[in-house]
Amino acid sequence: MEAGASYQRFPKVKVRELKDDYLKFELRDTDASVANALRRVMIAEVPTIAIDLVEIEVNSSVLNDEFIAHRLGLIPLTSERAMSMRFSRDCDACDGDGQCEFCSVEFHLRAKCMTDQTLDVTSKDLISSDHTVVPVDFSDALGGDDSSEQKGITIVKLRRGQELRLRAIARKGIGKDHAKWSPAATVTFMYEPEIHINEDLMETLSLEQRQSWVESSPTKVFEMDPNTEQVVVIDPEAYTYDDEVIKKAEAMGKPGLVEIYAKEDSFIFTVESTGAIKSSQLVVNAIEVLKQKLDAVRLSEDTVEADDQFGELGAHMRGG
Amino acid sequence: MEHTSFGDQRNATFSFAEEDHTLANALRFSLNQDPQVIFCGYSIPHPTKAQVNVRVQTTDKEARVILKDACQGLMQMCQHIRGTFDKVVNDFRTKNPSGNHPSQDMDSD
Ligand SMILES: [Zn+2]
Repeated sequence: MEAGASYQRFPKVKVRELKDDYLKFELRDTDASVANALRRVMIAEVPTIAIDLVEIEVNSSVLNDEFIAHRLGLIPLTSERAMSMRFSRDCDACDGDGQCEFCSVEFHLRAKCMTDQTLDVTSKDLISSDHTVVPVDFSDALGGDDSSEQKGITIVKLRRGQELRLRAIARKGIGKDHAKWSPAATVTFMYEPEIHINEDLMETLSLEQRQSWVESSPTKVFEMDPNTEQVVVIDPEAYTYDDEVIKKAEAMGKPGLVEIYAKEDSFIFTVESTGAIKSSQLVVNAIEVLKQKLDAVRLSEDTVEADDQFGELGAHMRGG
Repeated sequence: MEHTSFGDQRNATFSFAEEDHTLANALRFSLNQDPQVIFCGYSIPHPTKAQVNVRVQTTDKEARVILKDACQGLMQMCQHIRGTFDKVVNDFRTKNPSGNHPSQDMDSD
């Protein structure tokens, strides 16, 4: 009804850096509640696929069965399919068994060490029933592409005679339920700082004073130009809101030498993916998940409940 | 969503199951921007229960209508970010064709 009301904002986006597993972008003309919702959804509510059930056939390795099952769960699997897959708990094709093609992917692993050389069992040894869902390949991300040492993630090491044989079921899930399903290594945002140096006050400082003021910042935010002897801001985003330069200015008897504001409607996001989903896709999926949540609220039918459904809290909220 | 009303449709508490700060805080902020909202706040009654209660009190419209409008507004904003983001990522990829996204082949083996 009130679509496009005057207080509604339409944020701007700018990409700074983009790799498969890393993304840095600016989000402007919005507020912390939106930025934080996006961050929280990326970490805890964008679905991925991870190993959730392991049946061990043979395990004569030094690690016990549950230890290996846990390690398998933590291996990131390519999860482009996850958004369109079903959660096992509401899959009607297999009645919650969680083993059908709509809600699961099967893996097999067979390894036996036959030599005196230690055998590394890695994520590369996992054989998937679905070629779109495989352990994430880090080989070219690490740069050493020619070194033929295309190692996966080590699961266990075997000595002569030891064997590992198992069947694993991977399922769709979210980070809220278990961190193994989180597609995000880290997602952070910061307010963009706005730094104003009071030039007139700066003029009153000696060269040594300026130098020591510049050095009082724990991160390299300011620099003194060796030619002009002027203090300049070289990297505002290196500022960590630590207040050190402000305290230093006060200690030098020059309060107001610098003023620093956080622009409360501009955010710089850093997104690092585990490799399960590409970083740019992670942002897109997060927006879609958020939209699904809003839709669920918007389209839900209200059921009028009795007052006491909220108990004392309800009374409190009503000012009772 | 459950909804309590007390005769007066302008004041209501909405209870969302399986939701948390992610949705509630965004909704609260958005609702508080609306001049038709007198009061909006949310609480999580118990940390181990996946439930959040959102309280809305309005000037004259029904609280549920105002809540749904806020959802609609956030929805449009999400849609806008999505559109802008897709465009910006595509632009970035055409400007930086080689270096920054080396492996499109996740299914190489
Ligand atoms: Zn199923």
